[in-house]
Amino acid sequence: MRDFAIRYGFLILMIGLIVVFGLSAPGFLTPQSAVFILQSVAITGILALGVTCTMVVDGFDLSIGAVATSALMLSAYAQVIWGLGAIEAVLMCLAMGAAVGLANGVMIVKLRVPDLLATLGMMFVLIGLQRIPTQGNSISTGMALPGGGSATGTFDPLFLALGRLRLDFILPRLLPLSVVMLLVIALLVWVFLETTRHGRLMYAIGSNAQAAALAGTNVDRYRIAAYVISGTLASVGGVLLAARLGRGDVASGNNLLLDAVAAALIGFAVLGAGKPNAFGTAIGALFVGILLQGLTMLNAPYYTQDFIKGAVLIVALVFTFALSGRAGRPA
Amino acid sequence: MTNGNRSLGRDGRNRAGANFVTDRTIRLDGVRKAFGRNAVLRGIDLELPAGTITVLMGANGAGKSTLVKILCGVHGADAGRILLGGQPFAPASPSDALASGVVTVHQNINDGVVPGLDVATNLVLDELPRGALFLNQRAIRARARAIAAQVGLHDLDMRAEVRHLGLAERQMVAIARAMARSPRLLILDEPTSSLSAVEAERLFALVERLRAKGVAILYISHRMGDIRRLADRIVAMRDGAISGRFERAPLDIESAVRAMLGHAMAEVRIDIPAPGAPVLEARGLVLRPGARAFDLDARAGEVLAVTGLVGSGKSALAGALFGVALPLAGAMRLDGADYVPASPGDAVARGVFLSPKDRLQNAVVRDFDITRNLTLPFLRRHASGGFLSRRSERTAARAVVAEMGVVCQSPGDPITTLSGGNQQKVVVGRWLSQPSRLLILDEPFQGVDIQARRDIGARIRATAPGRATIVLATEIDEALEIADRILVMSEGTVVGEHVNRGIDLGRLMAQVVDAPGARAVTAE
Amino acid sequence: MLSRRMFATAAAAALLVPGLAAAEAPAAGTKIALVRYLSTGDFFQAYLSGVEKQAEALGLELQVLDSRQDAALQADMVDQAISLGVEGIIIQHGLTESMKEAAQRAVDAGIKVVAFDVDVENEAIPQIEQSDRDLARLALEQAIEDNGDSFTAGYVYVPGIAPLDRRDETWKEFKARYPGITEKAMFGTMDNPIANSVANQARSVLSANPDITVMFAPYDEFAKGVKIAVDEAGMGADMSIYSADISTADIAAMREPGSAWKATAATNPAVVGEVSVRSLAMLLGGEDPGRSVIVPPTLITQTQLNEQDIKSMEELAAKLPAFAHAEVAMTPWMKLPPR
Repeated sequence: MRDFAIRYGFLILMIGLIVVFGLSAPGFLTPQSAVFILQSVAITGILALGVTCTMVVDGFDLSIGAVATSALMLSAYAQVIWGLGAIEAVLMCLAMGAAVGLANGVMIVKLRVPDLLATLGMMFVLIGLQRIPTQGNSISTGMALPGGGSATGTFDPLFLALGRLRLDFILPRLLPLSVVMLLVIALLVWVFLETTRHGRLMYAIGSNAQAAALAGTNVDRYRIAAYVISGTLASVGGVLLAARLGRGDVASGNNLLLDAVAAALIGFAVLGAGKPNAFGTAIGALFVGILLQGLTMLNAPYYTQDFIKGAVLIVALVFTFALSGRAGRPA
Repeated sequence: MTNGNRSLGRDGRNRAGANFVTDRTIRLDGVRKAFGRNAVLRGIDLELPAGTITVLMGANGAGKSTLVKILCGVHGADAGRILLGGQPFAPASPSDALASGVVTVHQNINDGVVPGLDVATNLVLDELPRGALFLNQRAIRARARAIAAQVGLHDLDMRAEVRHLGLAERQMVAIARAMARSPRLLILDEPTSSLSAVEAERLFALVERLRAKGVAILYISHRMGDIRRLADRIVAMRDGAISGRFERAPLDIESAVRAMLGHAMAEVRIDIPAPGAPVLEARGLVLRPGARAFDLDARAGEVLAVTGLVGSGKSALAGALFGVALPLAGAMRLDGADYVPASPGDAVARGVFLSPKDRLQNAVVRDFDITRNLTLPFLRRHASGGFLSRRSERTAARAVVAEMGVVCQSPGDPITTLSGGNQQKVVVGRWLSQPSRLLILDEPFQGVDIQARRDIGARIRATAPGRATIVLATEIDEALEIADRILVMSEGTVVGEHVNRGIDLGRLMAQVVDAPGARAVTAE
Repeated sequence: MLSRRMFATAAAAALLVPGLAAAEAPAAGTKIALVRYLSTGDFFQAYLSGVEKQAEALGLELQVLDSRQDAALQADMVDQAISLGVEGIIIQHGLTESMKEAAQRAVDAGIKVVAFDVDVENEAIPQIEQSDRDLARLALEQAIEDNGDSFTAGYVYVPGIAPLDRRDETWKEFKARYPGITEKAMFGTMDNPIANSVANQARSVLSANPDITVMFAPYDEFAKGVKIAVDEAGMGADMSIYSADISTADIAAMREPGSAWKATAATNPAVVGEVSVRSLAMLLGGEDPGRSVIVPPTLITQTQLNEQDIKSMEELAAKLPAFAHAEVAMTPWMKLPPR
């Protein structure tokens, strides 16, 4: 009974939530509503999958929100000011995300800076850095350039399609591309972590790095790789954000970070995994999305939403650490 | 401010006034302890006279750590009684034991000090919870100096942070702090295991001062240097009972070691196979600065044991062979080809495997089930295109579970559900599951019961043909049980070699226990 | 430093003695400080550029102190400015509680102070304000002109933020005055990036309340978010968004084909910056700009933008004179930045 609660409690809670909202908020149980939910969690979900990878190797990445907003600014800068196309802009963002991840990884693994501190420092660097080229302004077509004149470039329609194109699925023009990307990335991360040699070794490192090293694993390389994955996925999130907003908005991305971390932590409780895992993270993001969609439809003010997000997180953590007894000695 | 001063001063006076009581002998009568069906102490009768250093010797599993834990209040005894100064003593908790004057300095020095605080604060730490709200640094330092002076430490820098001190000084701080409680019994658990010779000398001087003050000292050590230097009497334990008492000077240390190891080792008969081709040839290895260079050969089909005390260099040897840390000098060849492993990954790729000691720290992946723990180093064999085959993993795991006799419901059980012995079978079996050229097993019998030890040993010998096997074992009887040939290490180098047939135990023992300055012993 | 300040104080006192000196521009090279509470975002960036340009036109030496939303630090920065020997201080935003005493200390030190968008409760300190009530009023009047006085509305609001609270008062007045206006949903969040978070909320609101035809989003980040949601729901043709504030990016969004963002009311933040400096210059020159200096807002409609083909803030200022310059805090000697 207790095992059953630990394993399926959270999924049952989620289904219960869907039923309650379905009964009380008309229009909740429609394909559109389902897609809205997925769309609203697409970006934080992708970030959460990245931070899950760093958690798997017993690390943490506080810089993902800042990487995402840096990618947002970079993609806007590349297109609006340099006049580059969608493909170049996206590649630049991915390279930037990977480079930031690499820098984080090297700082943590080779220079022995604790993960929270290294990525915190990187977060501040990026929040500042993304504003330097435009002197703190948002980027949009027609903006005045510091050197005189105005920006003439525009967002490539191909780029905007990343955030706005919707595919026919059940209903015409229903499924946004960003949702497709979330699902694909979730699947890829899940496959990587659960079914490949590399994922297995990353879990081994997270549980006992010393044992993994003595089993012949190159621990340093895998830990760095985890931060590169995290940085790259965060930049994907930033690209989708830019494509949705259609401009380079100055933002710290701290809310993205917090929501992503919450999703990953809630994921610990899904199926009683008790550890970071891709499926749980995806469900965690979805759970938060369902909750917020339902509450907004019921006209609940924003502060109650934060409250409930926090409450869900705490329940999930209690599930993980108290009920399944992972924090203490083995049963 | 004056408050802090007063409370510290008052404590100081109390301590100084009521230091020692009249009958100061600690007496244990028929103390018994069992964990489940496993009787660990089978009736211990022991006296620990005041002002005397009693050295307690015992192999792993002899019961000495359980005895210490009963004395310092971690465990309760099942039967028997302890008298402390004539009064019955049955501590319910470590703080209870402390309050009664039984102080333990553990092997892990940092258990006794707070590295981030300065020396003075560490010394008065026990008094802080009852002191004034605001700290008077000057009063604290004065009180700390008094505490240090009690144990003859006059040159400690009170303002230095403990983390900047050497290990020996930390230990002094821990002992001085313990002495501030004016104990009747001081238990030192392998206190020199991580100290240099000079540092150890400082510790000995301190221990001797405490003896002169009339404290009963129970000193647990394997180091013959320590024992020669300090022991007034030696008590040897074996299989949960006292197996020898040596009180007459000069102390007969060899007999004590014999009493500690017993005679069970002669029971195992080893059939020594004909030596095969050389697998590992190491020449001129230097493992630590100043250590004498040595050669090492291991042949196909042979099981070589390396024995020696803790700190004799066995683990450094394992690290050098497995690519954890390269030797300072020397060359290695594996199957006739140069062998310079830069990492454990390199070593594994060349067919050199190491099953490390301290399984919980170095081998067990707690989040993994038995299968995943078993396949960890060999995932490449169970994967195609990077994707793992669960079926291939399960097949391999089932085979190891059967061969090693791991007692479990299924290979999918979490590793943490297994007993220590079965966990050890898994982490040793991990490296037996694939053929290797050279298999190094560092303390493969650590923390397992006698049955698991026999199972693991049998499996190691059964799989030995075709590869070279090196077993590192601190316990001589473990080496005698498993090996064709035994090397003795001391001070980072090889000091003796014995073929395991009609071995001269006295000589082997002498090589093991001989501290610095031992003459080099050539092969028999 | 001290003697210099005393000299400046004496000089300022001399200027204030009636009949002694006619009002004139402060001497070139006079040091002034801008002490900021908020600085992140287009509005504050544009405000700063207005301050810089007007200070340059008047030959004033400007020192910018940015507390980045640290109320205590901002108060300290006023003291820092005093010790730097400035003669004038502009306090830009902040909390009354933390700034009141700091502002008084500056006044006591003989320094001229103006405050923008923060009430420091000091008779000697003129308040520069953009009228949030007027902003909301202009946008809502346009909404009623476009949609009649009876419609179903959604409203984006986060309480506790002073300008939004003031805009909210006007919204409440309008609801009371026009009973035909039904507020069907109220939502909003300041989660960063705001537009993205508001878009997520607006999607939910629109699917729960498909009968909403007007969205009042009196902050451009809110309006941007609502527009994203409206576009994603394909409801652009049936929806009208009215907002406050404007930026180059907002202009592009309003002018997108089929954009639901019909109008916004805005004060040019650069102009507000200029007015702040001009008011301070008047004080330094011995004139009184008045207890309250209000910078009037301008209504900008989608039609206007399209007809005059306006693509950026610069073009907006060039083609809509009311937006480029506010005829407040002006004196005969006042030098304006080059246009």
